[in-house]
Amino acid sequence: MPNDDVENLLRDLAPQVLGALVRRFGHFATAEDAVQEALLAAAVQWPEEGVPGNPRGWLITVGSRRLTDLLRAEQARRRREDTVIQWTPPDQWLAPAADRPAEQSDDTLILLFMCCHPALSPASQIALTLRAVGGLTTAEIARAFLVPESTMTRRISRAKQRVKDSGIPFGLPPAAERAARLGAVLHVLYLIFNEGYASTSGPHLHRAELSSEAIRLTRMVRRLLPEDGEVAGLLALMLLTDARRPARTGPDGALIPMAEQDRALWNAASTAEGVALVSEALPRGATGPYQIQAAIAAVHDEAPSAEATDWPQIEALYEVLMRISDNPVVALNHAVAVAMVRGPRAGLDLLGELESDERLAAGHRLHAVRAHLLEMAGDPVAARAGYLEAARRTTSLPQQRYLHARAARLS
Amino acid sequence: MKYMIMLYGSQQDYDVLSGKPGDQEPWRDEDVAAMHAFMEKWNNDLVESGEFVDAQGLSAPVHARRIELRDGVPVVTDGPYPETQEVLAGYTIVECDSFDRATEIAARLAGTPHPKDTKLAHEWYVDVRPIMEGFGDLEA
Repeated sequence: MPNDDVENLLRDLAPQVLGALVRRFGHFATAEDAVQEALLAAAVQWPEEGVPGNPRGWLITVGSRRLTDLLRAEQARRRREDTVIQWTPPDQWLAPAADRPAEQSDDTLILLFMCCHPALSPASQIALTLRAVGGLTTAEIARAFLVPESTMTRRISRAKQRVKDSGIPFGLPPAAERAARLGAVLHVLYLIFNEGYASTSGPHLHRAELSSEAIRLTRMVRRLLPEDGEVAGLLALMLLTDARRPARTGPDGALIPMAEQDRALWNAASTAEGVALVSEALPRGATGPYQIQAAIAAVHDEAPSAEATDWPQIEALYEVLMRISDNPVVALNHAVAVAMVRGPRAGLDLLGELESDERLAAGHRLHAVRAHLLEMAGDPVAARAGYLEAARRTTSLPQQRYLHARAARLS
Repeated sequence: MKYMIMLYGSQQDYDVLSGKPGDQEPWRDEDVAAMHAFMEKWNNDLVESGEFVDAQGLSAPVHARRIELRDGVPVVTDGPYPETQEVLAGYTIVECDSFDRATEIAARLAGTPHPKDTKLAHEWYVDVRPIMEGFGDLEA
């Protein structure tokens, strides 16, 4: 088997193996070290000697042995400290073996719930998810977030310690909590995706990989929860957004707005998959914000040109979204859609109502949108002033360059 | 031993880089891309060699706030710097064997590409300063 295939297989199996070990032994942090060692052994042996018949069982066996060693060492150390820890070596197990297949899917899900536990900060949730469920090395995560490896190591071990201290049992959260906890998981995946997508500076390659990783993990959650509309919605949203990536920046790294992107560069396969997912999820009811955002992205992606965009549908979707989420950026986007349907003045009127929103007041977005609409309305002087004001307010260099270029076109 | 390499710039420098219409011709996209590519490689080389600790860029001086005491009362001023005053624009912290090695790393920045016709308001420079020991745990 080629190296890449082995690597993909290992990354799929990593959370299942870790889940199996934690379920049997507890000791999240130690189990994680043991799994890393088992994965390392497999990565060395399998490409040479071939993949074993039951790769998951192989990893669990090797991981269990290593974990037993680590726990024995730990136990010996504690014994010296006069603390006796009870644990059962694998040859004395009475319960079913850790590698019984029935619960393997649950294990991955439980692990995700654990990593995205509300006791952890979002930064820790992200780091722990990428490490324990994504199987990324600490060095890879550190690079992606542009922090020194030692900082990321500390962040991850603190997170593990908190999981340990909180005494979270290794099991699915109670049914009453599950929806909220799944919401937290989806939010973490969404943040990971955005971290890779929204950044336009820094080491581009590493960051793009974060988006791919978020998509991979969301696909995995979808396999585990195929009936959940918001999981499907989030996956669709990621695919439909990621489809536009190749057209989003010029060869010199400058931002290109959607209306001016070369749509031939958009990834047709991602678009088709995203559209299919959201089309299947929407009619099933219980529509959530990810599905609506995916539906909006789908309308954009399916338009053969910017002019052919179905703006009335986008306006209607933003209205639905505004009813379920109180987010001023959604209201701004709604105003743009209204302007596209009913003319720039109608959009500008709506912006007037948003001016008092404190969440928008300090930022650059409101000014940038107003400048666009003023330009559409044929008022270049006011539009230019708006672009310059927006540029003054943002701290992002690519955004400043984009806004200044728009202003320059009007002078 | 850790060293901080500090880069400086004025509001004017930021404006030219961000393409703000004004007296000087703004940088073109390819010039900005060339500079980013250079900085990225400089940075990644440090990551590869294991000498990288941290790096941050600061937003334009116009976004700075100064808090000062006036008659014993703290007063906040937005954008306290004159247009041409050079202020800290970013820093990179490296951990390496010697001051000379840190100096060598910093000196490589002299090769940062910029448009040929750019008129520099000042001669180019960066500073390197050793970081005091014993404060390591306070960072990150």
